[in-house]
Amino acid sequence: MSFSRREFTLGGAALAGAAGLPKVALAQSEPIRIGWLAAMTGPSSAPAIGFDRGVQFAAAQINAAGGVKGRKIEIITRDTQGDPTKAVNATQEMISQLKVHAIWGPTNSGESLAVTPIMARAKMPNIHPCVVDSLIDTAKFPNAFRLAPSNGQWDDAVRGYCLKILKVKKIAVIGDTTGYGVSAVGASVAAFQKDGAEVVYKANIDATQPDMTPDLLRAKNAGAEVIVVWSVTTGMEARMFNTRAKMGWDVAFVGHPSLSSGEIGKLIDKPANWDKVYAVGYKSASYDGVGKLPAKSQELIDRLTKAKVELGDTLFWWVAGGYDAIALIAKAVEVSGGTGSEGITKYWNSLNKYPGYFGNYTFNDKQHNGYPTEEVVMSAASSVKNGTFALAPGYKA
Amino acid sequence: MFASILASGLAVGAVYALIGITYNTMFATSRVMSFTAGQLGMLGGVFGSLFMLRWGMPLIVALPLVLIACAAVGVVTEFVAVRPVLKSLDQHLYVLSTLALALMIQQVAAIKWSTEPQPFPRLFGLGSGAFDEKFWLPVLALAVTVGGLEYLYRKTLVGHAFLAVAEDNFAARALGLPERGLRVASYALAGAIGGLAGFSGGELLLAFFANGALLNFYGFVPIALGGLGNNRGALIGGLALGLFQQAANFIVGGIFSSVAVFALFIIVLLAAPQGLFGHAGARRV
Amino acid sequence: MRSETLPAQAGARATRGHASWHALLPFAVLLILSLLLPLTGNDYWALIATRAAIYWILVAGLNLIVGYAGQLAIGYVALLTLGAYTTAVLTGGKLMAPMPVWGALAAAGAVGALFGVIVGLPALRLRTFYFAMTTLGFATIVTQIALAWQSVTGGGVGLPGPDMPAPFNSAWGFYYLCLGFAVFCTLITANVARSRYGRALIALRDAEVAAEAVGISKPGLLVKVFMLAGTLAAIAGGLFASLQTYITPDAFTFDLSLLFFISILIGGRGSILGPLLGTILLTILPEIAAPLAAWATFLYAVLLLAIVLLMPGGIAALLDWRNRKPLESGRAITPRPAALAELYGQTLQARALKVQGAALAFGGLRALDGVDLEVAPGQVHGLIGPNGSGKTTMLNVISGYYQPQAGGVLLGDSPLPGNAPTKRALHGIARTFQTPRLVGEASVLQNVMMGGTVAGRASFIEAMFCLPRQLRDEREMAQRARVALRVVGLEELADVRADRLQHSELRFMEIARALMLKPCLLLLDEPAAGLSTEEILRLGALIKAVSAQGTGVLLVEHHADLIFDICDHVTVLNLGRVLAHGTPAEIRVHQEVVSAYLGA
Repeated sequence: MSFSRREFTLGGAALAGAAGLPKVALAQSEPIRIGWLAAMTGPSSAPAIGFDRGVQFAAAQINAAGGVKGRKIEIITRDTQGDPTKAVNATQEMISQLKVHAIWGPTNSGESLAVTPIMARAKMPNIHPCVVDSLIDTAKFPNAFRLAPSNGQWDDAVRGYCLKILKVKKIAVIGDTTGYGVSAVGASVAAFQKDGAEVVYKANIDATQPDMTPDLLRAKNAGAEVIVVWSVTTGMEARMFNTRAKMGWDVAFVGHPSLSSGEIGKLIDKPANWDKVYAVGYKSASYDGVGKLPAKSQELIDRLTKAKVELGDTLFWWVAGGYDAIALIAKAVEVSGGTGSEGITKYWNSLNKYPGYFGNYTFNDKQHNGYPTEEVVMSAASSVKNGTFALAPGYKA
Repeated sequence: MFASILASGLAVGAVYALIGITYNTMFATSRVMSFTAGQLGMLGGVFGSLFMLRWGMPLIVALPLVLIACAAVGVVTEFVAVRPVLKSLDQHLYVLSTLALALMIQQVAAIKWSTEPQPFPRLFGLGSGAFDEKFWLPVLALAVTVGGLEYLYRKTLVGHAFLAVAEDNFAARALGLPERGLRVASYALAGAIGGLAGFSGGELLLAFFANGALLNFYGFVPIALGGLGNNRGALIGGLALGLFQQAANFIVGGIFSSVAVFALFIIVLLAAPQGLFGHAGARRV
Repeated sequence: MRSETLPAQAGARATRGHASWHALLPFAVLLILSLLLPLTGNDYWALIATRAAIYWILVAGLNLIVGYAGQLAIGYVALLTLGAYTTAVLTGGKLMAPMPVWGALAAAGAVGALFGVIVGLPALRLRTFYFAMTTLGFATIVTQIALAWQSVTGGGVGLPGPDMPAPFNSAWGFYYLCLGFAVFCTLITANVARSRYGRALIALRDAEVAAEAVGISKPGLLVKVFMLAGTLAAIAGGLFASLQTYITPDAFTFDLSLLFFISILIGGRGSILGPLLGTILLTILPEIAAPLAAWATFLYAVLLLAIVLLMPGGIAALLDWRNRKPLESGRAITPRPAALAELYGQTLQARALKVQGAALAFGGLRALDGVDLEVAPGQVHGLIGPNGSGKTTMLNVISGYYQPQAGGVLLGDSPLPGNAPTKRALHGIARTFQTPRLVGEASVLQNVMMGGTVAGRASFIEAMFCLPRQLRDEREMAQRARVALRVVGLEELADVRADRLQHSELRFMEIARALMLKPCLLLLDEPAAGLSTEEILRLGALIKAVSAQGTGVLLVEHHADLIFDICDHVTVLNLGRVLAHGTPAEIRVHQEVVSAYLGA
């Protein structure tokens, strides 16, 4: 067994912990350590890269303004690559070794499922953007808060748009073969059927499949009037759009936010292929008919632009979400007067329409799904501008 | 629909076969299965996109540059990950060294290039539907590669020397053949073939950092099916794999297609243990 | 002092006869360090150490397959997945009433044993890399099924891992459980490795033909090892599921599978300590690299490459300082045939070998064309002839590698079946090879002990737990091997790695290995090739002495002097037919022999 420098620091930390007294004095000035579990180099890392810009920007802004009651914010990042095993290790390291005060992330559901119980055991204040519904359970995980909508909320928005605004009855649901794709397709199909729609085609497609013609032809032959997509794979989505154009089919695609990822713009054969694609979006990240964003969002964009934070290749809501997460932690420390776990969760539980940039969050003892359903809307995927979108047609402005 | 399965099956099959040939070419002179084979395919796509789309080079300049860059990666593989472990081949340490190098290549691509698939330029703008160039370019590249290698091995002195080294390393050295030089050359050649696989398949697979691991995996299958070291076997094995995989995607869906592919693969191997076109083992006693 | 801190290992040590203390020292240090780890009170280290222990439980079993038997099982994450899901499903109660975690782990072990055999079976038919691919195929299939079988496995959303009962429900409690099991796995796999089963595995890896000749049957042995490794891997999976707290298919990555495999490669072949250190190293390395965030995996890869470049022989070779001392040069082999009596014990049940009309053609080539041959007990029978005359083919027919197309082989009155080389040792037929077949990394003593494989009585289970019969087996076999080495004159080199011996010494070592069987028939294939004149004389005397014990010796040789000196009877082959046979004196003057062969 090789002894690294890290083990010596571990010894040091143990000593400091055992000594007890100096810790109190330290607590007044030591930095607020925030663990950031980011899937930065894995196959689905676009969100983490976007979040990271907001995270770093927020920390820099708060620190430049003197920190929180004189305490600086320190972001400690670990790349999980979306691998649950790496996420488990990193989480425990943050809890026991780095002694962080709160954790933001992880960003993929698979890893989140594995680390949520571990954080619950350590009562670690945790806020994350993962969508799987079972991740939020105030009885089992009283310390876990969701910043973004749940998959159920996404699903509601997509279903509502299909059934109430597009007014279609025959649905095709397509996902990729990842764990997320498989479970999301299953949930979506069940919900459509419950609402009386007819699911005429359902498939999980290997994201590397080079040609989408067979699947789209089948959906078309089955009489699909809309194609609902649950996947984070931009390459596969772009192929579907190109294939739709080649087939001369004018069916609409509705679904996962990644349908509107800027990456798709580079992968489609011609810009028109991206029309009639509606992705889950948010009011805060949507501009109106004259291209105007909500004032608060515009203000953040101005600040980001001034700080030369790139928005063109990512989504506004990722950056805003990352910013909000750090701001929520900082605010909790400020209000509760310390970095104690109970104080932070108590503060979060008291939030009622806390005005973040991404949304207005409401948490209480019984509800940790903090994102308001009414702020989830559908956007026109191809209308991306600085990571924001035009509302999908059919919404009243 | 049938045409689409046929076209995409042959196209991905050709890319798999080319990666298989990349494995074979490296294996021939070194007896090493290098995990960098798939990464070379990935780099072919990434370099192609980088040179042509980001740096605006014309095809005539970009293609040779891609091949040279990938050949250079091949040579680096030989120096860094292969030569040091040649002495203890039966310990299979090459798995470790080539894997480490492959991982380094993949991580640099993820961070410096992108973790999302990036567009690959349309090379000629020929064909449409099932006859789109993105489907037949890999097949063409495969045909050119296999033909070129046959010519090299059969008609040229260097090719004969390659074969001699592949047949019997020690005897070749005893004959005074520059065994080391030939090995480096074969790694450069393999690099170029891998790069060509990625470049010709770029329109199909895009310039995506995760293609490396995928191609590593599916490039293995053709050589196992076709017999290790047998390029014609790799060709047939690759095309068969591509067709079967796309057909399975269509018939049983994305989740079960890999189950079907590997179940069939295991059954075929058990029926023909040396691969369909491999040689039976030498006399043992 | 060691016996107080390490009762289990000290117990094992006492049983290992000459196992020297410094072979156990690294294990003792590791165990003490792991027992002291909880003093840090840091749950992060508990997690990493528990992870290393769980991985080792899997790797310990896999090591017997990869490091010992040399089978490239690269996709062993399949069994980890299987074990994890079996345990999680059974304790979760989705399929039936929830099972207690111990029962679920045992069930996982049973499932693992079954699937260990299924995943491993292709190894009996496929070689190296082809087998590696099938294991990868299984890994893919298992993950995809976990993803698709939503009603049981939870599909992509997965399911919670088992909760451990007190006192194993705390980080350190669970750590101690896994550590205890890891120690247990170390012991049983080390026991197997040191038994005749372990030697047989290495023999199959490095010298498969010789292994068959001493009676080692590959299928029977590999199936046992696959069951053991599968069981351990699946139990590791159950513990893994508990450690992860929640399992989804994407936790079981190809990277994890490679980690298991390369732990063994880094560790070195045929070693327990090396792969153990390799597992620990590979579990810790990513943690050391982690602070680099996005560049962490890159640094990890750089460190991996550095390991290969710095330790090309693996950790085991690095730790093997004993075999780095130079051997004495100018060694002479001085056989002591007098010791043969001790080796043979009471008199041998003598049986004659009869080959009648053996015929065998390879394609158009008639290698044997109706050959008769008889080797009487206690006689040395020379078999000579020009190259390609069928001598070695004859030996291979007698030792069962080939099935003659006509004619047959009788030992005493019982016919010997063809195509059954592993059955020959039971009949008391032993042989040597034209080029010595040996396990280079094993000691000379272990190589010779392989010759006594069929005399072993202890079952695989007895070997695993080092039960009394196993201890007796080992003691007797080691003692007999030392005697055999004394007979051939190599007892000084007993503990040296076989690949450090000179060529002539290897020839005598092969004879010692053959003598372990107390053979009633000994087949020697050109034993004098490469020997000095002096050594040939000693060899001749040794062969005579062996035949004097009642063993029939069939000697294929090119050294005419040796043949005419020691043979009682000579058969001359030419083009697959018997050209002449008779006493050496008759052959020496046989007209055709002289012109066809001796005169040349």
